[in-house]
Amino acid sequence: MSTIVEPVATAEAGAVEETADRVVTKAKRGKRPRIVSNVIAVVFSVVWIFPVYWMINTAFKPRNEVMSSTPIFFPHSPTLSNFIAAFTESDFLLNLRNSVIVVVGTLIVAIALGALASAALSRFRFRGRRTILVVILAVQMLPGTALLIPQFLVFNNLGLTNNYFGLILAYVAATLPFSIWVMRGFFVAIPVELEEAARIDGASEFRILWSVLFPLVTPGIIATSIFAFIAAWNDYLVAYTFMSDQSMYTLPVWLVSFTTPTTGTDFGGQMAASVLFSLPVVVFFLIIQRNLVSGMSAGAVKG
Amino acid sequence: MSSPSATLVAGEGTAAAVSPRQPRPPRRNGSRLFPLWLLTPAGLVMIALVLVPIAFLVFTSFTDYNQRSLFTGAFDFIGFDQYTKIFADPDFWWSVVRTLLFTAAMVVGTIVIGMGMAQLLTRLGTVMRYVVTVVMIFAWAMPTVASSQVWNWLFQPGYGVVNWLLTQTHLFGDMTNVAWSNNPFLAYVCIWLLIVWGGVPLIALTLYAAQTQVDPAYLEAARLDGAGEAKIYFSIVLTFLRPTLLLMTILSVIWDFNVFNQIWLVSQGGPNNATATLGIFAYKTAFVGTQVGTGSAITVVTTIMLLVVTAFYIRNLLRSGEDL
Repeated sequence: MSTIVEPVATAEAGAVEETADRVVTKAKRGKRPRIVSNVIAVVFSVVWIFPVYWMINTAFKPRNEVMSSTPIFFPHSPTLSNFIAAFTESDFLLNLRNSVIVVVGTLIVAIALGALASAALSRFRFRGRRTILVVILAVQMLPGTALLIPQFLVFNNLGLTNNYFGLILAYVAATLPFSIWVMRGFFVAIPVELEEAARIDGASEFRILWSVLFPLVTPGIIATSIFAFIAAWNDYLVAYTFMSDQSMYTLPVWLVSFTTPTTGTDFGGQMAASVLFSLPVVVFFLIIQRNLVSGMSAGAVKG
Repeated sequence: MSSPSATLVAGEGTAAAVSPRQPRPPRRNGSRLFPLWLLTPAGLVMIALVLVPIAFLVFTSFTDYNQRSLFTGAFDFIGFDQYTKIFADPDFWWSVVRTLLFTAAMVVGTIVIGMGMAQLLTRLGTVMRYVVTVVMIFAWAMPTVASSQVWNWLFQPGYGVVNWLLTQTHLFGDMTNVAWSNNPFLAYVCIWLLIVWGGVPLIALTLYAAQTQVDPAYLEAARLDGAGEAKIYFSIVLTFLRPTLLLMTILSVIWDFNVFNQIWLVSQGGPNNATATLGIFAYKTAFVGTQVGTGSAITVVTTIMLLVVTAFYIRNLLRSGEDL
């Protein structure tokens, strides 16, 4: 694993700093700014990681340590009971299955349609292409309730609420625009010469797409799938509105409604549930971190 | 590494905007229909699931669609009544004001801290930079539903670690039993912290990526001329960062304007609608109060406001070298 930025640029920046140090001598830029920077960095890191630490820390505490008026910063007797309770006393597995069904369904449809559309929008020039791209970008910026209200009304009439298929359709609507947008970036990067060589060899358009372009764009398809996975996996609002039966909840809805038979909110259980729910996303973030900054800042994924 | 990730950065014209545009394939006469075939499936889905619903939303905003209509399917066309109703409703205007102020506060918070962190990252050694980056990735990766739950726990009356910490500082007296979400101001502080915490990583890492593209020769020359670090930052680095900074600001405005999960899960828009931004207000009107027509009208107005910002975004994207 490496840092997000290109190592080359980092090395350059370091080199400059050294030269500058030598030139300006120790007058202004001695060791002190480094120490100040490091102190700020440490404070920042502690503050920023604390909520994550507190979630994990709480997840491993027995109930009496969770409900302590003086916080316990390190579990005295760490336990897995919160995690075990999530598996045995809640609908975790059932709702996990719902999430997986819906997310996989969304990915298959959004990626297949998105790959074809983004190929068209990147490898061909035709009238209306720019308009389509602008519409895609604009749709991506719509407020959540703009699609939710009308989709709910229509889907409710068609019997598509409380239903996998309906939720998949809603997620396809949400993920297709950015899937097209992100994959387009990968298609654009493929040199035209490859396509032309294949054309000279007599390959049909479909053949070129299938045998030349798609294999080359596979990393882009994978990255886009992960973006779409994260978006569908994390959605709360649509699932909460569409799924009324507890047996149809997806994991985010399960996480919010999380209570065990014991009275009151079980924070230990809730934090264990949060860990279980966040884990896949964190893993994927670490895998695709190189693509994250560019893809997300391209408006790909809503904050 | 001839990775597509590097080209993606260039292609998307954001972090490392400066790179030559990709050559375009020439127009081919024989294959005019082929791209249309490729577009058709996605196009049909987008029309059916996005454009038609948007049209339906606008239509609904001109009807009295309510709870009764949900069961009977019957509703009446009432023209602009929903709009006159919301425009005459002080709650709606308060919601607009709240949304604008809160969005501004969140955007300023994320951008300022993000810029600071980006600058800090350039001054750190490899190890420390790595640590900060990993920390930020964790904060960023947390799904908003999970981080909102964690926030509820951090700020829990009686057992919340933040309440305990603040009490220990003796600055605000005994904070132990303060219920943050029951006080409008504290609810905002709590949600603001949550959103800034989650929003800073992307901004910081993007700006840092852009900052490493600044030609070191400029900085060196300025240092030789005796310019201070602050002056160098404001007159040189910031000039290079401007396009990226502008894009990130517009995107943050759009994201923060649309924030739903964090507000809903921390305060449900309460107490007394005090934290109900437009999205929450529309949702509550349409789904909790089942005044679907009114909720639609609020959403239409919200959408129009956002489209203005989006137009800025698209214009800037085009200007920053994105070849549509």
